[in-house]
Amino acid sequence: MSAGSAEGARGTSIVSADRILGLLLIILAALVFWSAQSLIVPFAADPLGPKGFPYAVAVILAICGALILLERGPAFAWPERRAAPFLLVLAMVAYALLLETLGFILATTALALGVALLFGAGPWPALATGAVTGLALWALFDKLLDLPLPQGPIRGFLGA
Amino acid sequence: MMDTFAALGGGFAVALVPTNLALAFLGCVIGTAIGVLPGIGPLNAIALLLPFCLALRLPPESALILLAAVYYGSGYGGRITAILLNMPGEPSAVLTTLDGHPLARQGRGGAALAISGIGSFVGATLSVILMSFLSVPLARVAVAFSPADYVALIAFALSLLGAVGGASAPKAWAAGCLGILLALIGVDSGTGVERFTAGSLELLGGVDFTVLAVGLFAIGEILLLIETSLRTEAAKLGGGKRLSLREILFCLPAMLRATGIGFVIGVLPGAGASVASALSYTAEKRLHESKDTFGKGDLRGVAAPETADNAAQIGNLVPMLSLGIPGSGTTAVLLGALLMYNITPGPLLFTQRPDVAWGLIASMYIGNAMLLLLNLPLVGVFARLLSVPAWVLYPGVLALSFGGVYAVSNSAFDLLMAIGFGIMGWLFRKLDIPLVPIVLGFVLGRMLEDNLRRALALSDGSVMELAASPVSIVLWGMTVVAVLWPLRAKIWKN
Repeated sequence: MSAGSAEGARGTSIVSADRILGLLLIILAALVFWSAQSLIVPFAADPLGPKGFPYAVAVILAICGALILLERGPAFAWPERRAAPFLLVLAMVAYALLLETLGFILATTALALGVALLFGAGPWPALATGAVTGLALWALFDKLLDLPLPQGPIRGFLGA
Repeated sequence: MMDTFAALGGGFAVALVPTNLALAFLGCVIGTAIGVLPGIGPLNAIALLLPFCLALRLPPESALILLAAVYYGSGYGGRITAILLNMPGEPSAVLTTLDGHPLARQGRGGAALAISGIGSFVGATLSVILMSFLSVPLARVAVAFSPADYVALIAFALSLLGAVGGASAPKAWAAGCLGILLALIGVDSGTGVERFTAGSLELLGGVDFTVLAVGLFAIGEILLLIETSLRTEAAKLGGGKRLSLREILFCLPAMLRATGIGFVIGVLPGAGASVASALSYTAEKRLHESKDTFGKGDLRGVAAPETADNAAQIGNLVPMLSLGIPGSGTTAVLLGALLMYNITPGPLLFTQRPDVAWGLIASMYIGNAMLLLLNLPLVGVFARLLSVPAWVLYPGVLALSFGGVYAVSNSAFDLLMAIGFGIMGWLFRKLDIPLVPIVLGFVLGRMLEDNLRRALALSDGSVMELAASPVSIVLWGMTVVAVLWPLRAKIWKN
């Protein structure tokens, strides 16, 4: 499925990613435990109630965290192109926040353009990809499948 | 026996409705295509399609026919890149490269593709026949399961996560726990108490399955791909001698053995298509060791793993439908899809919703015939998909993901949550944490808790009652083995 999974060069180090991961899992388990403990149960329909199961899962999670902590795993494999994933996350968050104001076509065109650039397209091909993706998906969703999407300021042009 | 034929007849009545036929065909085309495309597997594609099924209000049997066709169709597509590029399109096609690529380099790529297509068809169709006759008896056994038996069965299914797959067992179990915890977010159905919502109104109804699946498997995958900005090169099919009938018959015994291995492995929870194809390849190689032709372009070396791969995929569906316990990530997503329709797969599915259960099974006979016809003459068309550049493909996939999630909920919050799960999926892949246990934990978590609470209510809180019946004792015993087995090396050392 994933052809790009990071095998490549990996050293082992004492402060490995796995150490941090194990620690984070233990902290998460503690948070779950604490959060479940503060649940106030108005009535108990069954002997276990809503707390027992989360407790058990949190304990298992903490044990797994401890086991991971004890293993000396490989160091974290940094991306080959470090900026790209962060830029992509920024673009996606901007899309989620602006979709309803800009409307589906504009927002999707901008997103597809940006992602095409990040995947190494030239500026004109990226613009074409963006415009085609935005319009084609709008036609698919709105016209063919009749699913409601935010229209945004260009509603009038498209007669929708 | 006659019951099965009657039920199957009812299933064909559902599957032959024009819409459902068209959806099966669409699923087959999409399945083959995504099997070819690197970076998108059946899981990603089903996760992407699920919101559309819901937003379009497709009836559950139609949605399942479409999604399952994508699932078993992908088993036909993974071999194409394996043979032509020496690059498996999906993990279970790894073994196909061993003999498939040498054949392609000898100019017999066309023959290798043909025999793998035929093998996929044989494995899948024979397995659907087995499934038709085995599902109901298995479901009958499971009807007698008490809540305590179910607790043991689900615990066993989850414990197996550590024994399979390359990742470290504690990581797989931790991922399973995270999936369970995500499923617990929202209002507790037993008492009406809010759990783990952090006061957020949007989380009261719980995490939507489509948001989780799209985030982990579509957005996460693209984040991973963009790091390397993956490029693929177009491949040549190669002329060479066409596959002869004699060669097909020569491969037939290998295909039949591979079907047996694949189906059994598929039905067992935990083990999946990758294990099945590896086992059947090794079995054939051992059997014909004296000739020393494997690894150098033996047609049987292509036929066996491809047959087993498809047989296991179908076998995987059996516990999902009859017990309600998925054995793999993709069947977990299919189960999640049914749950979104308020249909709980399991022993009662065959009596309460025969249209869904038998409609699906009947559609798989039809779908596999479609796939054979699609794949023999059109293999070149699908191979050409490889020349679509990443910068055209993935912006479209990403926009489809967001559009689908938004169409279901009309909520920007869900989009942000999907992005969050995408980041999680991306980081987890880099940390070698498997994602499949998260989905399995998510779909099984509520079921596990409900059964546990029901079992304890029946026993007045006595924990010993959880392991009182013979079935549960056996299952708990196997769970202990499944937990200790991956840890044996560590226990040995100390």
